[in-house]
Amino acid sequence: MVDTKTWARVKSPWVIHFNSGACNGCDIEIVALFTPKYDVERFGVKLEPSPRHADILLVSGCVTQQCSERLKRVYDQMPEPKFVVAVGACACSGGIFEGNYNVLGGADKVVPVAAYIPGCPPRPEAMIDGLVKLLNTLNPPPKGAKKQIKGASAGVTEEKPVAKE
Amino acid sequence: MQKSSEEFVNAIENKLNGKIQIQIGTLGKAAITANNGIHRDLIKVMLEVDDQTSIVAITGLDLGTNLGVYYHFRSQSGYYTIKAEVPKDNPHIQTITDLIPGALFAEMEGNDLFGIVFDGHPSPGRLVLSENWPEGVYPLRKDVIANQVKLVPPKNVAAEPDDNKTVKIIIGPQHPALIEPEKFSVSVEGEIVTKVEPRLGYVHRGVEKAAELRTYIQDVYLVERVCGICNGPHAWSFSGAVEKILNVTVPRRAQFIRVITLELNRIHSHLLVLGHAGLEIGYETLFQYFWRDREPIMDLIELTCGNRVYESMISMGGVRRDLKETDSPKIKAVLEDLRKKIPFYKQLYENEPTIKARMKDVGVLKREDAISLGVVGPVARASGYAVDVRKDEPYEVYGEIPFKEIIYTEGDTWARMNVRMDEVEESINIIEYALDNMPKGPIRVDIPREILAGEAVNACEAPRGELFYYVKSNGTDMPDRVKVRTPTFANLPSFFKTAIGGSIADVPANFVSLDPCFSCTDR
Repeated sequence: MVDTKTWARVKSPWVIHFNSGACNGCDIEIVALFTPKYDVERFGVKLEPSPRHADILLVSGCVTQQCSERLKRVYDQMPEPKFVVAVGACACSGGIFEGNYNVLGGADKVVPVAAYIPGCPPRPEAMIDGLVKLLNTLNPPPKGAKKQIKGASAGVTEEKPVAKE
Repeated sequence: MQKSSEEFVNAIENKLNGKIQIQIGTLGKAAITANNGIHRDLIKVMLEVDDQTSIVAITGLDLGTNLGVYYHFRSQSGYYTIKAEVPKDNPHIQTITDLIPGALFAEMEGNDLFGIVFDGHPSPGRLVLSENWPEGVYPLRKDVIANQVKLVPPKNVAAEPDDNKTVKIIIGPQHPALIEPEKFSVSVEGEIVTKVEPRLGYVHRGVEKAAELRTYIQDVYLVERVCGICNGPHAWSFSGAVEKILNVTVPRRAQFIRVITLELNRIHSHLLVLGHAGLEIGYETLFQYFWRDREPIMDLIELTCGNRVYESMISMGGVRRDLKETDSPKIKAVLEDLRKKIPFYKQLYENEPTIKARMKDVGVLKREDAISLGVVGPVARASGYAVDVRKDEPYEVYGEIPFKEIIYTEGDTWARMNVRMDEVEESINIIEYALDNMPKGPIRVDIPREILAGEAVNACEAPRGELFYYVKSNGTDMPDRVKVRTPTFANLPSFFKTAIGGSIADVPANFVSLDPCFSCTDR
C-alpha cells in the first residue's frame, strides 16, 4: 500500500505556486513550465489553484513582511505529506533583496524547504531537474544504498527528503 | 493645439509672475519652484494652458531640514517638474487629487515612505508598507536605518459587516487568477460591482532605499529586478538618467542594440499578456498558442543577451554585449515566422464569439478619464489618448525609425489587447529596420564610478507604458535618491474606475487587460 501511495505521488505531483514577493522573473518561468515547450504535465505535474489539493508548494521570490503570514497559511492549508521548493535565488536566500527593510529573507525563514533551485531566474530545465530530484527522494532507496541525510524538510514519510543543489 | 515648451513656460510665467521661479532645461523641459499653496495655482494654470497635462509621479526627497515634494508632469511639449518643500517637523502640503485624480496613489506613497501629509487626501492610509510597520517611521528618510526598525504587532481591525445588499468578495493575496500576491476586496450588489478596495504592498521590497545603499553599477542590476518581465526598460531608464547627469552620448551602434533589446522585450511581454488574457476568459487554447509562439522570442533574447529572462544587456554608457554578424539572419527568420502568425490571431479577435463576448465593451475607459487619471501605454492608446514616449520624446534612435503609433478609440478590453497585437507587428518592423541600418563601431563608453552631483529625469516606453525614473546624485559612487514610477502604478486607478458598474465576471478580463505588474507597482 505504501509503495502504491509513493508511486502515485511520484507519478503525479500536484503543485501550487505562491509568489511571496518575487519580481515576476521566476513566475513567468514557472508558467512557462506548463506551456508547450517544457510541458511538465507530461510528467503528471499539474498546476493546482488550491493549496488544499497540492503536494508541492513552489515558492518564488524573497519573503516580504506582508506575505510571510500568508505563505505560512498557504503551507498550513496543504495536506501532508507536503514539500516546499524554493525557486530562484530570492526564495533560496533573499537574493539581491537580502537585507532590505521589508524583506525577511528566503522562504526557509517561514516554511521548511525541501529543495532549493538557484538561479535568477532558474531556467525551466533547472526547475524540472529540481522537481525530479525531489521526487526521487520519495522513492524508497534501493537495497544496500546508504540512508539519506536528514535535514530541514517537510512531510511524514520515513525518509526525510533533502535535495539541495 | 500643441504648444512648444517655450510657449508653455511663457504662458505660465505671465499668469503667475513673481510667485514662481523657473529653471529651463532641468528635470525635463523646465523645473518650476513653487511654495505650498502656490503649487495648486500652478497646476491649475498648467491644465488651462495644456489640457493634456497629466501627473507622472510625486517624488519625495529628504533634503536635511526640509522634505522635498517634486511633482513630475507630462504635457504635450514634454516633462515639467514642480519643486515644493515642506519642513520636516511639520510636513503638510495641500493635496492635488481634486485637480488631478491620477495623483491618488502617488500621494499615498509619499505619505507612506516620507511621512508627507497631503491635506485633504480622500483616502489616507497605507499603500505599500506592511501592517506591522510602526507608525511615524518613514523608511526613505535618511535618518532612518530601515532594516533596524523594530516591527510592531499588527492591529486587529474588525472587518466591516456586510449590509444586506452588498457582499464583499476577497480576491487574493493567493488566487489562481493572480500570479502575484495582492488583495482586492470587491463589493458586489447581485452581479454588479459597486466598490473595489485594493491592498497593495505584498511585493514591496524597498528597492528605492536599497538603491541608495548600493553603487551605480550594482544599481543597474538591482533596478532590473524591480520587474522580471520588463527588465530591459528599467535598466535603460536608470542608465539613461545617469547618462543625462553626466551629459554622455552613447555610441550609435549601442543605441541600435539597445533598441533591438527593448523591442524584443516588448514582443515577449505583449505575447505573455495576450496569452494570459486567454487564460482569464477561460480560453486556455489561446494561452497555450501565444506562449508557444513566445518561446522562440525567449530564445532570441538568450541569443542576443545570454539569458532568457534577465537581459543585463543595457548598462551605463552603452551595452554589455555586441551583436554578432551571424545573429542578424537568425533574428530575422524567427521574427518573420512570428509575423506570419499574427493575422491568424487578428482574425480570431475579429471573429471568435468567446473573445467578443468576454472582451467587447468590457471595462470601457473614456478618453477624458484616461487623461485625468494619467493612464499610459497600451491602455491609454486603446482609449484614443496618443501617448507613446517613443514618439513624444524620442530616445536613442527611435526618432529616425519609421513606425506607427497604434491608436484604438473603443477603450475596452478588446481594444487594449488589439493595441498590443498590432504593436508586436510594429516591434518586428523596428527590429528589422535596426538590424539593417546598424553601423559598426564601439558599443560603450566609460562611465566614472563616482557621478557628479546632479539630478535628472528619464522616461522610456516600457511594454506596459511610460516608465519614469528620477535619479539624484551627490558626487559619490552611490545615488542620493532613485525614484521609480512604473506604468502599472499609473494604470491601476483606471481599473477601479472601469470595474465599478460592471459585472463581477468581467473583473478578471478587465483587470488583465491593463497588463498589471505588481512587482513594478510595489517595488
